[in-house]
Amino acid sequence: MDQPQISFGTPARPGPDLPGPFAVGRYANKLQGWMRERPRVLLIGEVTGVRRSKAQAYFELRDGEGAVPCAMWLNDLERAGLPDGALRDGVEVVIAGGLDYYPGGGAASPGFNFRATHVRLAGEGDLMARLEALRTQLRAEGLFELQKQLARPVLPKTIGVVTAEGGAARRDLLAGLGRRGWGGTLVWAFAPVQDRHAAPKIARALQDLAARPEIEAIVVTRGGGSLADLWAFCDETLCRTVAMLRVPVISAVGHERDSTLIDDVAAICCSTPTHAAEAAVPLDCGAARAEVRRMAGALRRGADGAIAARARHLGALARGPARALQRQRTILNQKTREIRAASERGIAERSASQRRIAGLVLERARRRALGQVERATEEGRRSGATLDTAAERAVSQRREALRNAAVALRAHDPERTLERGYALAETPDGEPLTGAAAVAAAERFSLRFADGRVDARTDEDPESGTGGDHRD
Amino acid sequence: MKIPSPGPEEITVTDGSPASYESAVERLEEIIDRLDSGQAGLRETLDLCKEGKGLVDYCAGELDAVGEGLKELRLDDLAAKLDSSAGAGG
Repeated sequence: MDQPQISFGTPARPGPDLPGPFAVGRYANKLQGWMRERPRVLLIGEVTGVRRSKAQAYFELRDGEGAVPCAMWLNDLERAGLPDGALRDGVEVVIAGGLDYYPGGGAASPGFNFRATHVRLAGEGDLMARLEALRTQLRAEGLFELQKQLARPVLPKTIGVVTAEGGAARRDLLAGLGRRGWGGTLVWAFAPVQDRHAAPKIARALQDLAARPEIEAIVVTRGGGSLADLWAFCDETLCRTVAMLRVPVISAVGHERDSTLIDDVAAICCSTPTHAAEAAVPLDCGAARAEVRRMAGALRRGADGAIAARARHLGALARGPARALQRQRTILNQKTREIRAASERGIAERSASQRRIAGLVLERARRRALGQVERATEEGRRSGATLDTAAERAVSQRREALRNAAVALRAHDPERTLERGYALAETPDGEPLTGAAAVAAAERFSLRFADGRVDARTDEDPESGTGGDHRD
Repeated sequence: MKIPSPGPEEITVTDGSPASYESAVERLEEIIDRLDSGQAGLRETLDLCKEGKGLVDYCAGELDAVGEGLKELRLDDLAAKLDSSAGAGG
């Protein structure tokens, strides 16, 4: 915008460097004229602070970067043909007009505004144009990539949700999480999701949730609507806030055909709250539980199989020495049988040989013995006569010796002594008493004569001493 | 029967808890593939099974943590609870 060049003629007094002083009223009127000469433009923004006087409607038109005070004659507003009450806080409108200035007066305050001569509700095209401009700007700043670089847990335990309390999106999100088999903790941060107050509150809710350390993902969701209804989610400040959060944000705003700016800056953009639930919990918990059981079984089978295979191998190795021993034992038995058979064959052969030799030896011995017998027979015959003569002589000599012995024996026979008148002292038992002391000790004895026995006893005589020739 | 000797692609047994559920599952798949290949030696097999059991326990614990039923909290209530507990503690 060019600086206003207003000429008031030659100044009455020279100032330091500036022209003037001018009479303010004239300056104000000149200013009004200068402003009204500025080119007329179209402005788009959200209506706030609507109020009416008898002749005019006043409001502000604003967006995230700034605002302009606006005024519109009521007859111009009526010509715009808006539905009753359409010009209200929160609506997006496009206005046509230009700069204006009310110079005021002696008692009236001056004022600047944008004099709107036409107004219409902002259409999809208008919003889309604004959206594309913002999109280009944020993309150029790299804000679309920040969230997408965050790590997203496949199994978050706590999830934050920003949505309208009582909205259908809440129910759909819960149903989606239920289908996932997820039973963690949901932290709800309810906020308005439509009108000019929505964006700051949504941004605040997101910041509060992200400040909680246990929250691992945040879902922002609302149902479908026109782009104007969803415009809060195109708010530049909100989208910049989302881009800078440390927690991944999953947006599910509107329906599949709707595209808001928060979808671009979020980590994930989903078409429905149900899809947002699946994106927030990428893991199907039911299937994951089955998969963990499968892997646990595979591990058990792996361990058991490896150990069993090695146990079988070890068993085979352990049986190896026994098999080798058995093999050697079999060989040994075979050799033993072979040796025994060979030995028996050898013995048989040797026996046969020995029998042949023995037969020869025996035959020779027999022949030799026969020869000896024949020779002995001859010798016997020859010595027979000599033996007969010698035998007779020997018999005769032994008979003579026997007779001599009989004579000598008889000469020593005690009976022969008794026959000559002697007696033999004996005990009653017939044992001979060979001395006086034996007789004295026996007290009773008998005397045997050749013709009979007489009993006797000793008579003690102290004076004559023991023994003596006493008779009864 | 042929007992395999450890292959050149023997994988190293790791210690410590996994960084995340997905890393635990990825490691488990790696372990099971190695065991299924039949190339792991006995010591490696035993070590891998021990590590795998720990990973299965970890994964089961993570699933149990989100398997006890959905709990719903309001951020406002959560903040109020924290404020009251902080006040009681102070």
